[in-house]
Amino acid sequence: MPVTVHANSTGSSAARVTGADRVVAILCFMARDGIAVNVSRIVGITVRWTLGVAAVALVVWAFARVGWRELARSRTDAGGTTLTVLHWSGEGGPEEDDIVESSLRAFEAANPGLHVKRINPGDAGSFYTKLQTMMAAGEPPDIFYVGNERIPSFAALGLMEPLDRFVAADTASTEPGALKIADLYPQVVDAFRYDGNTAGHGTLWGIPKDFTTVGFYYNKDLFRKAGVPLPKDDWTWDDFIATARAIGAAKDDAGEHFTGAEFVTWPAMVRAYLFTEGRDVVGATFDDVTITDPKAMAALERLRAWRHDEEHALTSGRSKIATGSAVFSTGRVGMAGPFGRWVVPEYRRIQAFDWDFAPLPRGSERANIILTVSWSISAQSKHKDDAWKLVRWLTNVEGQKAQARLGLAIPSNRAAAESDAFIDQAKPANDRGFLDAIPTSKVINWPPNAKFEQLLGTNLDEGLKTGNKPLPEAVAAFETLWKQERDSPLGRGGFPAMPWRMLTTIIIAITAAGAAAVVLWFRKRPLPRHEAREERAGFLFASPWIIGFAVFMAFPVVLSLLLSFTSWRGLATLSEAKWVGVGNYQQLLLEDSRFKTSVAVTLYYVLVAVPLGQLLALGAALLMNQKVRGIPFFRAAWYLPSVLAGVGVAVLWRWVFDSDAGLMNSVLAPILSPFGLAPPHWFGADAKTWGAPAFAIMSAWFVGGSMMIYLAGLQGIPDELNEAAEVDGVSRVRRFVGITLPMLGPVILFNVLMAVIGSFQVFTQAFVMTGGEPGDLTRFYVLYLYNQGFEYYEMGYASAMAWILLAVVLVVTVVILRSSARHIYYEALKK
Amino acid sequence: MATIELNHVSKTYSGDVRAVSEATLAFRDGEFIVLVGPSGCGKSTLLRMIAGLEAITGGTVAIGGRVVNDLPPKDRDVAMVFQNYALYPHMTVEKNMAFGLLRRRQHSGLSGLLFHATERRAELAAIERKVLDTARTLGIEPLLARLPRALSGGQRQRVALGRALVREPQVFLFDEPLSNLDARLRIEMRAEIRELHRRTKASMVYVTHDQEEAMTLADRMVVMKFGVVQQFGTPGECYARPANRFVAGFVGTPVMNFIDGRVDAGVFVSTDMRVPLPAARWPRMPAGPATLGVRPDQLRVLHSADAGAGNTATEGTSVPATVRAIERLGDRMDIAVMIGGTRLTARIENDDRLVEGDSVLVHIGLGAAHLFASGEDGARLADAHDVAR
Repeated sequence: MPVTVHANSTGSSAARVTGADRVVAILCFMARDGIAVNVSRIVGITVRWTLGVAAVALVVWAFARVGWRELARSRTDAGGTTLTVLHWSGEGGPEEDDIVESSLRAFEAANPGLHVKRINPGDAGSFYTKLQTMMAAGEPPDIFYVGNERIPSFAALGLMEPLDRFVAADTASTEPGALKIADLYPQVVDAFRYDGNTAGHGTLWGIPKDFTTVGFYYNKDLFRKAGVPLPKDDWTWDDFIATARAIGAAKDDAGEHFTGAEFVTWPAMVRAYLFTEGRDVVGATFDDVTITDPKAMAALERLRAWRHDEEHALTSGRSKIATGSAVFSTGRVGMAGPFGRWVVPEYRRIQAFDWDFAPLPRGSERANIILTVSWSISAQSKHKDDAWKLVRWLTNVEGQKAQARLGLAIPSNRAAAESDAFIDQAKPANDRGFLDAIPTSKVINWPPNAKFEQLLGTNLDEGLKTGNKPLPEAVAAFETLWKQERDSPLGRGGFPAMPWRMLTTIIIAITAAGAAAVVLWFRKRPLPRHEAREERAGFLFASPWIIGFAVFMAFPVVLSLLLSFTSWRGLATLSEAKWVGVGNYQQLLLEDSRFKTSVAVTLYYVLVAVPLGQLLALGAALLMNQKVRGIPFFRAAWYLPSVLAGVGVAVLWRWVFDSDAGLMNSVLAPILSPFGLAPPHWFGADAKTWGAPAFAIMSAWFVGGSMMIYLAGLQGIPDELNEAAEVDGVSRVRRFVGITLPMLGPVILFNVLMAVIGSFQVFTQAFVMTGGEPGDLTRFYVLYLYNQGFEYYEMGYASAMAWILLAVVLVVTVVILRSSARHIYYEALKK
Repeated sequence: MATIELNHVSKTYSGDVRAVSEATLAFRDGEFIVLVGPSGCGKSTLLRMIAGLEAITGGTVAIGGRVVNDLPPKDRDVAMVFQNYALYPHMTVEKNMAFGLLRRRQHSGLSGLLFHATERRAELAAIERKVLDTARTLGIEPLLARLPRALSGGQRQRVALGRALVREPQVFLFDEPLSNLDARLRIEMRAEIRELHRRTKASMVYVTHDQEEAMTLADRMVVMKFGVVQQFGTPGECYARPANRFVAGFVGTPVMNFIDGRVDAGVFVSTDMRVPLPAARWPRMPAGPATLGVRPDQLRVLHSADAGAGNTATEGTSVPATVRAIERLGDRMDIAVMIGGTRLTARIENDDRLVEGDSVLVHIGLGAAHLFASGEDGARLADAHDVAR
């Protein structure tokens, strides 16, 4: 083929590209001269080649562009030192974002040659996900926030730089801006010490930016209404419950009871509560579980009884929406806590009533806890000295005062805390209550294993909050699960490193061999030349997809398979992965009882959701198949919900299923009450029976997609079939069973398969609505997988779970396909 | 076996689209009626209204003397055969035939099941027997265990027939049952349906667009156009005494020749010819525009060499013409001739001497000719034959 031809005909618009005219002229010339050239064929080949080359160029361009961007970035870095800062601004919102930003700009101004790049992914959850990916990519930020509860796990992974040498140097130094550690509250600084076993002493891993102690926020107006005295700083739990009962006994103008208090049972708060009785859930080490100590159990039982055996003293805990800090703002609850300072910006917006703060009541002793966030330096930072300069800049008095004005937290710098930047005119009046609790405060000791907190939280919730399990059982479950976790051979370590180099070599060799085999095979086939050309063009067209698939699908799939045989904390680079053989699979299938629970819960969901959803979809499709006026409107109305985003819908349905105020129970209660029945507490006490079905009911919201496919199937059934049967006197029901259903066979099979696969992967709704709680009763398979991968950072374990899921879904699919083959007639699809 | 009476039956779709208007027809018990007409003429709609698949928007339909307007199809005791066979693809031939016979269980629930188990077994055995008998008469007995996908078109149509037959209804309805078959098979099945009618003596209503099928099958036929009944009569009547120019053109092959002109003093005059009209046939024909209709077999073509050989027909006129086209059919041939600007088709005995371009003499015989009022659907003008009847 003459090169000039296709070089000149790249444009499809002949008017614009004068070359096109020339091409036609050349072709005509060739034809006239008797050269056997089929004009249209050459034009076709030219167009095909042009498009094919364009497709390849697109891919090359995309990769080149990304590569160039990275290159360009590293070149600009050459001009000076750039420090990367990662932080969040959860409750602080845009104001916190602004404060950090202006503080960083001031730092840049004061330190010529130092540049700061700031990353704020949003709330704390997104922050840790971002931090994880940056760590895993081997490009961690130079300095970042760390909550004190994560210090042990981060320290164990060697992610942070010990700061003692900087602190020592600064203490000795006289240079302005040097950090004098004695200026900070020692209890707060200690929260970032960890010696490898216990928090509170040992190496220093972070400089606290701020902190909080905890207590109860109270509604002064309700106290006055109930005629009870306002709490003093040294009030006791007896005072607390007496006050709560008095407020619970009071009624509003409509005769509705108020509620005494909201008492959150988060693990840290329950431990703070136990501290006031001189107890904790564990002893000196995490092998020593002390939660079953009689005094600790008595305290927990007291809390349970307040909530579940009394009316109106504490919020019931049935409702998912009416808990947490928001319930206080309704004005219907006398006290809410234990919360730290972080609710203050939210409560300052309350106009309807007056409120204040009281520290945690005392039990047999006075106690409190310190919750705090540090600025820490990455162990892999290339500019640690500069990073330290930035850390001490961000924790100096001025920076702390600026932050304190948000009201969000207490400055860790004593001077700033005692200044009017913190003890200000704004509510709460009792700012000092937070500071006075410091001397009796403890640092909560958390183990490096993140599962401890979640196991404690979910199990205590079942006993204390939702009450779907007797308290001793819930506590026993925590003990057993935590012991299982401690005993897991995976946790012991000492595994060999993953032989990445060897594996990569093998995989590359296999891929190369495969590619060579394919090429050889193509070469060998005796294809006519024009067909070979067609084939080459075809592959060119498909190349964007093929390359995309290889890079974005095949590579991750293979990697996840390899990872499933490793122990890899997603927080470190891949080189840290350890080879554990089938250890993950062994642990999952033989030991992990939470895995079994998640499988059971998921199967339960599949068994309810698939039939329910399919019946509803088919029923809707039958309705939508009627020939009535305005049917397009109805079809659109039925389909519309499935277009909405899953998270938004989940938030909506959380309200629908709320046990006390939800739409579902408001409708069900009057229907069931004549039979002496009460609607279930979907995600509370009745979660074992009704948790998964609630999600199945919710999945009906997304029935539109299946409905459309059924509708298409119904419209594909020839009318004569039904008419023939109608004339023959076959009843409507038998026509449906005898004709419509069998004719829909392939469509039903397809929809059921899709629904089964989708149901096994249910995630978003549970993630948003319940987070898997109470206990593990709505912890679906993929949610547990997510927990393992992104909350406990057990990427290897999560990968193994993903592959087990794939295997199960594959088996189920094959079984359904095989068992249905005899009953499915594909004629209905052909006209 | 039943009569069917249609009284001012109309079908109006949303808006004012009239599919059938004011059809008033009475079919006798055991009669084979064919509804025929070009596509879109309303014949299928009329049939579906008789079946009960289409609501009747005006008038009444009575089967066996009972008005069935508001009866669902199952209570009309009719059976229907569809163009696309409408066999249930997931059922064997046997099940296809038995499906309409299985009655709804009289007693539902477990008690019904237990109590009527024996009765039901007997019923099933009876159905099986009946299906087998019917299959035997249609020669599809060996196919009973097969699925429709394993059958040829002809076999499928036979099964569809069997499915109707096995129900022994009062009335059989056929909706273009043969149009998906090839020509040969169609003729075969036609004979078979005719034979079926002879044997069962059931009332049958048969829809087709093929006038030849209508002519061969019908006891009486209904010719329709645009939802309006044009003529209702025996095939012979429709052929020999068409009610109007449309029927005359629709019935019979090749299509009747129409020559537009006028009648003037006992002579039909067109731009290209003058044809004297015998006064015995058309006495006192008033002057005015008219169309002369002559069937191709009423034309004779004389080779110019034979002209003047004294072919003296009693009626008719000979005019010079040119041969335009010839279609040889074996023993006969269709020949198109031009008389001036008028093109006529003649069907004559085969004559090998004739070639295109020949000058010939065309003799227009008036024995079976008709005069129509002018216009596309002009009514046939009455002649002496009508008076005689």
